[in-house]
This record gives sequence, structure tokens and C-alpha cells, in this order.
Amino acid sequence: MGDSDEELLSRVASGDPAAARAVVGRKLPRLLSLAGRMLGDAQEAEDVAQEAFLRVWKQAPKWRPGEARFDTWLHRVALNLCYDRLRRRRELAYAEPPEQADEGPGPDRGLQALDAARRVNAALQALPDRQREAIVLCHYQELGNIEAAAVMGVSVEALESLLGRGRRALRAALIDLKEA
Amino acid sequence: MTPERFETLAEAYGGDVTRWPAAAREAAAALMAEKPAWAGEVLARADDLDVLLDAFVPPQASADLAGRILVGAPRSRPRWAGWLIPGGMGAGLAAACAAGVLVGAQLHGASSQPSASDADALVAVVGDDDLGLYLDEEA
Repeated sequence: MGDSDEELLSRVASGDPAAARAVVGRKLPRLLSLAGRMLGDAQEAEDVAQEAFLRVWKQAPKWRPGEARFDTWLHRVALNLCYDRLRRRRELAYAEPPEQADEGPGPDRGLQALDAARRVNAALQALPDRQREAIVLCHYQELGNIEAAAVMGVSVEALESLLGRGRRALRAALIDLKEA
Repeated sequence: MTPERFETLAEAYGGDVTRWPAAAREAAAALMAEKPAWAGEVLARADDLDVLLDAFVPPQASADLAGRILVGAPRSRPRWAGWLIPGGMGAGLAAACAAGVLVGAQLHGASSQPSASDADALVAVVGDDDLGLYLDEEA
């Protein structure tokens, strides 16, 4: 078994390059998965991952083991960065409305309907942010309900409600994919 | 566990009961044993959505992303740095650097006809010979 996150952070703080590489190897795929699904944009997900790691490097010397789980803290940092970007997008969209925003299925979208990944991404992005966040944390990041609720700052009951509403909306948006 | 609660959990956490909250799994298993056909339908419906969701895999990251991230990681000071700059010597070195920057700025900003006060200031810092070279080049 390898070093715990806390042990690695302590070594990172003392300037150990092997520990920094180990933290990146361990956490980068999860950060990209989180940001990629929250934002639906690979480049922006990379930017979020880079910014999140800048905060990890800054936080490492101050990290106090036992106060919080590093993974929970990192998810929260990355989600805040995602929300900053989603907010900026909305402000831009308000200032300059896109010419064509419709991503849903239609009679002339047969080819697009076959592209399941793109359709799922579009359906996820169309969800209210908090429902998408709940689904990303529980389904894709595989956090337990208590940890996901802690990351989101809600009760487990509220998390379940967000998950249920989100999944029902996704099922409705993707029903033609299932039938195809 | 009531059937309604079972459906709520399937709707929230999906068709794989091992991903449901640990505290609910035992009661869920009991209900599945009691109503296998009904429970199977509920789970299959949830599983259909799980499979669709899994179709979305974010693209691979750029090959150099990890390298770019590691550039910002904390680095330990080389051991000689502690020996070279113990306490007050660091401040002295910083002051010397600042003086160098000041001289550089003055050299850069000087016109082809430096004023007497400029020349005096430069002589004080870089010495007669070096200043002579500078003035010859500028002339």
C-alpha cells in the first residue's frame, strides 16, 4: 500500500518532487473527470485541474491531517473553480446570446443520436448545476452519499432528491438513445 | 424497507446495489429476495441509465498537462542555499541585487549625453573604467 494523501502532502510541502509527481498521478485523472463532466469542455477541464493543483501546492505546507479528507477538500476546490467558469459563461451568454443553443434530439439529428457520448454530455450540461454536481460526484466520481453530501454542503436527503431529479431528467432527455 | 424507498434509492444511486448507502443494502437485499421480479425491473430501469451515463468519457488530457502542473510544485532549497544565505546575508544579497537593477535602469534610460549627476551616480557604483567604456560606446 502506498503513502496516504496526508503523508504525500507533507512530503510535497518539504519540496519532494517524487511526492509531487505521486499526488499528480493519483489525483489528476479524478480532477479531469470531475471538471470534464461539470463543464463538458476538455480544455476548460485542464485549466481547472491546473488551477486546483496550484492551490494544492499552496495548501500543502498548511495541511493539518485529520481536519478534513484531502480528497473531499480537493473536490470542493475543483467544483468552486468549475462554478466560477459556469458563472462567467452565463454572464457571457447574457451579454452575447449564442446563435444556436439547441442541443436536443430532433427529426434531422439521426446521426447525432448515434453519438451517445456527445448526447450524454449535452444532457448533463443541460441539467441544473446542483443536479449535475450530485450525479457527477455519486455516479462518476463514485463518492459515498455522506462524502458527496459533505462536498456539496447539503444533507443526504437533499443529495438523494437532487440525484433523483437529475436522473429522471437525464432519462427523459436520452430516452431515444435507449430505444435506438 | 418499503418498495417506495427501494425505488427512491434506485432512482438516486442507480441499478448497482453495491453503490447504494451501506446502511440500506441489507434491507434492500431482503426486499429483493421477497419480490425478485419487481426488484429486478426497478434495478434494470436504473441500470439502463447507468450504462448510458458511462458512454460519456471525457477526452484524454494533453500529454504535457502533468508536466505543466508539476512546474508549480514546491521545491526544496538546495543545501548550499542555506549555507550561502544565512539570515542577514540574504538581505545584503537582496540589497546588492536591487542596486544592480537600479544601475541597469539608469544605464538603459540614459541619453547619449548623460548629465553630470547621472555620471557621478554611475561612477560611484560601477567605477571609472567601466563608466568610461560605457560613455565611449554611447558617444
